[in-house]
Amino acid sequence: MDRKTILTELKKVLAPYTENKEMLDGINEDTDLIRDLKINSANLVDIIIDAESTYNIEIDFDSADRMYKVGSCIDVIIEKMNQSA
Amino acid sequence: MRSTGNDIVALALVNKQRTGQVRFYSKILSVSEQELYHQPETQQLPFESYVWLLWSVKESTFKYLKRLDPTLIFSPINIIIQHIVIPRVSSDGPAVAEWESTGEDSDVYCGKVVCGVHTLYFRAKINEAWIATVVNNDECFDDVCWGVKSIVNPGYKYQSLEARLALIYKLSGFLPGDLRIEKSPVGYPVIVNNDEETGVPASLAHDGYFVAYSFLLHPEYVCD
Repeated sequence: MDRKTILTELKKVLAPYTENKEMLDGINEDTDLIRDLKINSANLVDIIIDAESTYNIEIDFDSADRMYKVGSCIDVIIEKMNQSA
Repeated sequence: MRSTGNDIVALALVNKQRTGQVRFYSKILSVSEQELYHQPETQQLPFESYVWLLWSVKESTFKYLKRLDPTLIFSPINIIIQHIVIPRVSSDGPAVAEWESTGEDSDVYCGKVVCGVHTLYFRAKINEAWIATVVNNDECFDDVCWGVKSIVNPGYKYQSLEARLALIYKLSGFLPGDLRIEKSPVGYPVIVNNDEETGVPASLAHDGYFVAYSFLLHPEYVCD
C-alpha cells in the first residue's frame, strides 16, 4: 500500500473528529491534526484505535506519540504494517 | 519561568463504552494509574470520569511544561498521576453556566502529577457536564485563577473566540488597559496590555459547549 492510498484512507479515519471538512479534503503530509484540522486532542486516542482497526496493526506508545502530523501518521502505519507482514 | 496549564472535558462528548475498553484506557493510563483507581476513595468516581479526569490532568501538565520546553511532545502515558485526594464536599453536582475557583474550594479534587524531573500539583472540578483541571508547581493555588464558562455555539471558531473573551473579561478585573491575546509560536496564549507583553502566564481550553481558562495572578493581587 503506497503513501497516497494510505493518505486517502486516513481521511476517512480523521473525518469523524474534525469540523474542518474543507481542510480535510486538502490535507497533505505536513497537515497538523490539532493545529490545522482542529481535532480535539482528546480524540487522538480514538484516531489511534481507529487506525489500528483499519490497518489491523498495533500502535505502541512511542509510535503513538509521533502521530501528530498526517505524514508521521503514514510513517507509523507503514512501519507497523511492515512489522506485521 | 512561571507557567500554567488547564484543560476541560465535556462529558456529553465522551464515548463511555469506548472509554471502558482496555485498549482505549491503557493508551492513557499507566499500570500504576489503573491500580490507583482500585483504592476505595477513587472508586467513588465512575470509571469513565476517572479516565477523563486523568486525561485532563495530563493535558494540563503538558500545556504547563510545553511553555518551559517548546520541544516537548504530548505523551500521556509518560505523565503519571501519583496521588488523588477526593473532595471533602461532594463535587458531582449539576452543571452550572459559569464557575470560577474561589481559591478555597472544598469541592475540588487535588493531587500530584509527575513528568520526568518535574513534579506538579493539580486541582480538578467535576460536575455532571464537565471536568475542568489546572496544574501548578506549588500545592498552594492562591495565585492561580481558573474558571469555566458555557457557550451557545460549539463550533471550533466560536470556542476559541469565547475562550479568549472569557479570559480577557476575567483579566480585566486585575489589569486595566487595552488587553488582547496573541499566540506564541508554540501555541500558548500571550497576554498583551497596551501593546506590551504582560508576562502573565495563561492557558485556554475548550470542548463542546464549554470553555475554560487559567492564569497566574501577580502576587500583589493575591489577597491574604
